[in-house]
Amino acid sequence: MHPGGSMDRRLRISGILVIAGLLVEALCLVWSKPIAFVVLVCIGGALVGVGVLFFLCSLISAPHPTGSSGAAAGKQSG
Amino acid sequence: MPTIAIVILVLFSAALAGVLVARPAITLSRAGKVLAFGVFFFLPLFSLVAGMENEMQRSESTAFCLSCHIMEPYGKSLHIDDPSYLAGAHFQNHRVPADEACYTCHTNYAMFGTVKAKFGGLRHLYIYYLGKPPLPENIKLYEPFNNRECLHCHLGARSFEQGATHNADPATLPAIKANTLSCVSSGCHDTVHNVGHWGDKVKFWDGGS
Repeated sequence: MHPGGSMDRRLRISGILVIAGLLVEALCLVWSKPIAFVVLVCIGGALVGVGVLFFLCSLISAPHPTGSSGAAAGKQSG
Repeated sequence: MPTIAIVILVLFSAALAGVLVARPAITLSRAGKVLAFGVFFFLPLFSLVAGMENEMQRSESTAFCLSCHIMEPYGKSLHIDDPSYLAGAHFQNHRVPADEACYTCHTNYAMFGTVKAKFGGLRHLYIYYLGKPPLPENIKLYEPFNNRECLHCHLGARSFEQGATHNADPATLPAIKANTLSCVSSGCHDTVHNVGHWGDKVKFWDGGS
Protein backbone atom coordinates (compact mmCIF):
# COMPACT_ATOMS: atom_id res chain seq x y z
CA MET A 1 0.00 0.00 0.00
CA HIS A 2 1.21 3.53 -0.78
CA PRO A 3 2.57 5.15 2.41
CA GLY A 4 0.48 8.30 1.91
CA GLY A 5 -2.62 6.41 0.79
CA SER A 6 -4.76 7.49 3.73
CA MET A 7 -3.69 11.10 3.37
CA ASP A 8 -4.30 10.99 -0.38
CA ARG A 9 -7.81 9.69 0.21
CA ARG A 10 -8.53 12.47 2.70
CA LEU A 11 -7.14 15.08 0.33
CA ARG A 12 -9.35 13.71 -2.42
CA ILE A 13 -12.45 13.82 -0.21
CA SER A 14 -11.78 17.38 0.96
CA GLY A 15 -10.91 18.40 -2.61
CA ILE A 16 -14.16 16.97 -3.97
CA LEU A 17 -16.16 18.75 -1.26
CA VAL A 18 -14.38 22.04 -1.95
CA ILE A 19 -14.85 21.66 -5.72
CA ALA A 20 -18.54 20.88 -5.30
CA GLY A 21 -18.98 23.92 -3.04
CA LEU A 22 -17.12 26.18 -5.45
CA LEU A 23 -19.17 24.96 -8.41
CA VAL A 24 -22.38 25.64 -6.46
CA GLU A 25 -21.02 29.12 -5.68
CA ALA A 26 -20.18 29.78 -9.35
CA LEU A 27 -23.69 28.73 -10.38
CA CYS A 28 -25.26 30.96 -7.73
CA LEU A 29 -23.20 33.94 -8.85
CA VAL A 30 -24.60 33.72 -12.38
CA TRP A 31 -28.11 32.80 -11.21
CA SER A 32 -29.90 36.08 -10.62
CA LYS A 33 -32.71 34.90 -8.34
CA PRO A 34 -33.09 35.78 -4.66
CA ILE A 35 -32.92 32.09 -3.69
CA ALA A 36 -29.38 32.00 -5.13
CA PHE A 37 -28.03 33.70 -1.99
CA VAL A 38 -29.57 31.08 0.27
CA VAL A 39 -28.27 28.25 -1.92
CA LEU A 40 -24.81 29.85 -1.94
CA VAL A 41 -24.67 30.14 1.83
CA CYS A 42 -26.48 26.93 2.83
CA ILE A 43 -25.18 24.50 0.22
CA GLY A 44 -22.07 26.12 -1.31
CA GLY A 45 -20.86 27.51 2.00
CA ALA A 46 -21.54 24.26 3.82
CA LEU A 47 -19.70 22.16 1.21
CA VAL A 48 -16.69 24.47 1.17
CA GLY A 49 -16.71 24.72 4.97
CA VAL A 50 -16.87 20.95 5.45
CA GLY A 51 -14.17 20.46 2.79
CA VAL A 52 -11.84 22.97 4.44
CA LEU A 53 -12.49 21.49 7.90
CA PHE A 54 -11.89 17.97 6.58
CA PHE A 55 -8.60 19.17 5.06
CA LEU A 56 -7.51 20.77 8.34
CA CYS A 57 -8.49 17.66 10.31
CA SER A 58 -6.56 15.48 7.90
CA LEU A 59 -3.49 17.68 8.44
CA ILE A 60 -3.81 17.33 12.21
CA SER A 61 -4.31 13.59 12.09
CA ALA A 62 -1.61 12.98 9.46
CA PRO A 63 1.23 10.67 10.61
CA HIS A 64 3.99 12.85 12.07
CA PRO A 65 7.35 12.55 10.29
CA THR A 66 10.13 11.33 12.58
CA GLY A 67 13.80 12.21 12.03
CA SER A 68 15.20 14.71 9.55
CA SER A 69 14.49 12.76 6.39
CA GLY A 70 10.75 13.40 6.44
CA ALA A 71 7.60 11.34 6.20
CA ALA A 72 9.03 8.57 4.05
CA ALA A 73 11.77 7.84 6.59
CA GLY A 74 9.20 7.94 9.36
CA LYS A 75 7.08 5.38 7.54
CA GLN A 76 10.05 3.12 6.90
CA SER A 77 11.14 3.13 10.53
CA GLY A 78 7.59 2.61 11.73
CA MET B 1 -14.99 43.08 -7.30
CA PRO B 2 -17.12 42.48 -10.42
CA THR B 3 -19.17 39.28 -10.54
CA ILE B 4 -17.30 37.92 -13.56
CA ALA B 5 -13.96 38.30 -11.75
CA ILE B 6 -15.31 36.34 -8.77
CA VAL B 7 -16.69 33.63 -11.05
CA ILE B 8 -13.27 33.32 -12.72
CA LEU B 9 -11.58 33.17 -9.30
CA VAL B 10 -14.03 30.49 -8.12
CA LEU B 11 -13.55 28.38 -11.26
CA PHE B 12 -9.76 28.83 -11.06
CA SER B 13 -9.83 27.66 -7.43
CA ALA B 14 -11.97 24.66 -8.38
CA ALA B 15 -9.61 23.80 -11.25
CA LEU B 16 -6.56 23.92 -8.95
CA ALA B 17 -8.38 21.75 -6.43
CA GLY B 18 -9.20 19.37 -9.28
CA VAL B 19 -5.51 19.08 -10.15
CA LEU B 20 -4.66 18.16 -6.55
CA VAL B 21 -7.53 15.67 -6.37
CA ALA B 22 -6.32 14.02 -9.59
CA ARG B 23 -2.65 14.05 -8.55
CA PRO B 24 -2.35 14.11 -4.75
CA ALA B 25 1.30 13.08 -5.06
CA ILE B 26 2.04 16.73 -5.79
CA THR B 27 1.56 17.42 -2.08
CA LEU B 28 4.53 15.23 -1.09
CA SER B 29 6.99 18.06 -1.77
CA ARG B 30 7.19 21.15 0.43
CA ALA B 31 5.95 23.39 -2.41
CA GLY B 32 3.10 20.96 -2.98
CA LYS B 33 2.08 21.19 0.68
CA VAL B 34 2.05 25.00 0.49
CA LEU B 35 -0.01 24.77 -2.72
CA ALA B 36 -2.45 22.35 -1.07
CA PHE B 37 -2.90 24.70 1.87
CA GLY B 38 -3.61 27.58 -0.52
CA VAL B 39 -5.97 25.53 -2.68
CA PHE B 40 -7.87 23.71 0.07
CA PHE B 41 -7.94 26.47 2.68
CA PHE B 42 -7.12 29.99 1.57
CA LEU B 43 -8.62 30.12 -1.94
CA PRO B 44 -11.98 28.47 -1.13
CA LEU B 45 -12.56 30.68 1.90
CA PHE B 46 -11.51 33.81 0.01
CA SER B 47 -13.77 32.83 -2.92
CA LEU B 48 -16.65 32.15 -0.55
CA VAL B 49 -16.31 35.48 1.24
CA ALA B 50 -15.98 37.35 -2.07
CA GLY B 51 -19.03 35.53 -3.46
CA MET B 52 -21.13 36.24 -0.38
CA GLU B 53 -20.10 39.89 -0.38
CA ASN B 54 -21.06 40.09 -4.04
CA GLU B 55 -24.45 38.50 -3.35
CA MET B 56 -25.02 40.88 -0.43
CA GLN B 57 -24.38 43.83 -2.71
CA ARG B 58 -26.58 42.40 -5.42
CA SER B 59 -29.39 41.96 -2.90
CA GLU B 60 -29.51 45.75 -2.60
CA SER B 61 -30.22 46.28 -6.29
CA THR B 62 -33.63 47.24 -7.63
CA ALA B 63 -33.43 44.43 -10.19
CA PHE B 64 -32.88 41.89 -7.40
CA CYS B 65 -35.99 42.99 -5.49
CA LEU B 66 -38.09 43.04 -8.64
CA SER B 67 -36.92 39.59 -9.74
CA CYS B 68 -39.61 38.15 -7.47
CA HIS B 69 -42.86 37.89 -9.40
CA ILE B 70 -44.83 39.23 -6.45
CA MET B 71 -42.88 42.53 -6.55
CA GLU B 72 -43.69 43.32 -10.19
CA PRO B 73 -46.49 45.85 -9.41
CA TYR B 74 -44.18 47.63 -6.98
CA GLY B 75 -41.61 47.91 -9.76
CA LYS B 76 -44.29 49.29 -12.08
CA SER B 77 -45.30 51.83 -9.44
CA LEU B 78 -41.84 53.39 -9.78
CA HIS B 79 -42.79 54.41 -13.32
CA ILE B 80 -46.20 55.93 -12.60
CA ASP B 81 -46.41 59.32 -14.27
CA ASP B 82 -47.86 61.15 -11.29
CA PRO B 83 -45.72 63.20 -8.87
CA SER B 84 -48.08 62.46 -5.99
CA TYR B 85 -46.81 58.86 -6.01
CA LEU B 86 -43.97 59.10 -3.53
CA ALA B 87 -41.98 56.06 -4.67
CA GLY B 88 -42.28 56.97 -8.36
CA ALA B 89 -41.33 60.61 -7.75
CA HIS B 90 -38.23 59.56 -5.81
CA PHE B 91 -37.20 56.98 -8.42
CA GLN B 92 -37.82 59.12 -11.49
CA ASN B 93 -36.08 62.20 -10.11
CA HIS B 94 -33.13 60.22 -8.74
CA ARG B 95 -33.82 61.31 -5.18
CA VAL B 96 -32.79 57.73 -4.51
CA PRO B 97 -30.20 55.84 -6.59
CA ALA B 98 -32.28 54.25 -9.36
CA ASP B 99 -30.36 50.99 -9.18
CA GLU B 100 -30.90 50.69 -5.41
CA ALA B 101 -34.32 52.31 -5.16
CA CYS B 102 -36.06 49.70 -2.98
CA TYR B 103 -33.18 49.21 -0.58
CA THR B 104 -32.57 52.94 -0.06
CA CYS B 105 -36.02 53.52 1.42
CA HIS B 106 -36.72 50.10 2.90
CA THR B 107 -33.49 49.53 4.77
CA ASN B 108 -33.14 50.52 8.38
CA TYR B 109 -30.71 53.36 9.10
CA ALA B 110 -30.30 52.45 12.77
CA MET B 111 -27.41 50.41 14.14
CA PHE B 112 -27.43 46.89 12.61
CA GLY B 113 -30.07 48.18 10.18
CA THR B 114 -28.45 46.42 7.23
CA VAL B 115 -28.39 43.12 9.14
CA LYS B 116 -32.04 43.59 10.08
CA ALA B 117 -32.88 44.33 6.44
CA LYS B 118 -31.09 41.16 5.33
CA PHE B 119 -32.99 39.06 7.86
CA GLY B 120 -36.18 40.69 6.60
CA GLY B 121 -35.18 39.56 3.10
CA LEU B 122 -34.68 36.00 4.34
CA ARG B 123 -38.14 36.14 5.88
CA HIS B 124 -39.51 37.25 2.48
CA LEU B 125 -37.81 34.26 0.86
CA TYR B 126 -39.24 31.90 3.45
CA ILE B 127 -42.76 33.21 2.88
CA TYR B 128 -42.33 33.23 -0.89
CA TYR B 129 -41.04 29.67 -1.22
CA LEU B 130 -42.37 27.86 1.85
CA GLY B 131 -45.25 29.98 3.12
CA LYS B 132 -48.34 31.43 1.56
CA PRO B 133 -47.38 34.71 -0.12
CA PRO B 134 -50.09 37.38 -0.04
CA LEU B 135 -51.35 39.12 -3.14
CA PRO B 136 -49.18 42.13 -4.04
CA GLU B 137 -51.91 44.58 -2.98
CA ASN B 138 -52.14 42.91 0.43
CA ILE B 139 -48.44 43.19 1.25
CA LYS B 140 -47.92 45.26 4.38
CA LEU B 141 -44.80 46.52 6.12
CA TYR B 142 -43.79 44.49 9.18
CA GLU B 143 -43.82 47.68 11.23
CA PRO B 144 -44.90 51.27 10.52
CA PHE B 145 -42.51 53.19 8.28
CA ASN B 146 -40.11 55.10 10.49
CA ASN B 147 -39.44 58.77 9.62
CA ARG B 148 -35.77 58.06 10.37
CA GLU B 149 -35.51 56.46 6.92
CA CYS B 150 -36.81 59.67 5.26
CA LEU B 151 -34.77 61.95 7.49
CA HIS B 152 -31.60 60.06 6.60
CA CYS B 153 -31.63 62.13 3.39
CA HIS B 154 -34.09 64.95 4.01
CA LEU B 155 -32.92 66.17 7.40
CA GLY B 156 -31.16 69.48 6.91
CA ALA B 157 -32.34 69.82 3.31
CA ARG B 158 -33.72 73.29 2.61
CA SER B 159 -36.87 71.99 0.93
CA PHE B 160 -37.63 69.95 4.04
CA GLU B 161 -36.56 72.38 6.76
CA GLN B 162 -38.09 75.48 5.14
CA GLY B 163 -41.00 73.86 3.30
CA ALA B 164 -44.21 75.90 3.67
CA THR B 165 -46.36 72.95 4.75
CA HIS B 166 -43.76 71.67 7.19
CA ASN B 167 -43.63 75.10 8.85
CA ALA B 168 -47.32 76.03 8.70
CA ASP B 169 -47.67 74.77 12.24
CA PRO B 170 -44.60 75.18 14.50
CA ALA B 171 -45.32 71.79 16.05
CA THR B 172 -45.16 69.93 12.75
CA LEU B 173 -41.42 69.83 12.12
CA PRO B 174 -40.47 68.72 15.66
CA ALA B 175 -43.19 66.05 15.50
CA ILE B 176 -41.83 64.73 12.20
CA LYS B 177 -38.30 64.65 13.58
CA ALA B 178 -39.48 62.86 16.71
CA ASN B 179 -41.36 60.31 14.55
CA THR B 180 -44.63 61.13 16.27
CA LEU B 181 -46.10 62.45 13.02
CA SER B 182 -45.48 59.99 10.20
CA CYS B 183 -44.38 61.29 6.82
CA VAL B 184 -46.26 58.59 4.93
CA SER B 185 -49.40 57.89 6.90
CA SER B 186 -50.54 61.22 8.13
CA GLY B 187 -52.39 62.37 5.04
CA CYS B 188 -49.28 64.16 3.78
CA HIS B 189 -47.23 61.76 1.62
CA ASP B 190 -49.51 58.77 1.94
CA THR B 191 -49.63 57.77 -1.74
CA VAL B 192 -46.53 55.63 -1.91
CA HIS B 193 -46.90 52.54 -4.15
CA ASN B 194 -50.69 52.30 -3.87
CA VAL B 195 -50.63 48.90 -5.55
CA GLY B 196 -54.12 47.62 -6.33
CA HIS B 197 -55.67 51.08 -6.33
CA TRP B 198 -54.32 52.61 -9.51
CA GLY B 199 -57.52 52.62 -11.52
CA ASP B 200 -57.64 52.75 -15.29
CA LYS B 201 -56.40 56.29 -15.79
CA VAL B 202 -52.92 55.83 -14.39
CA LYS B 203 -50.14 56.59 -16.88
CA PHE B 204 -46.59 55.30 -16.89
CA TRP B 205 -43.37 57.14 -17.63
CA ASP B 206 -41.27 55.06 -19.99
CA GLY B 207 -37.90 56.72 -19.31
CA GLY B 208 -35.24 55.96 -16.77
CA SER B 209 -33.37 52.77 -16.09
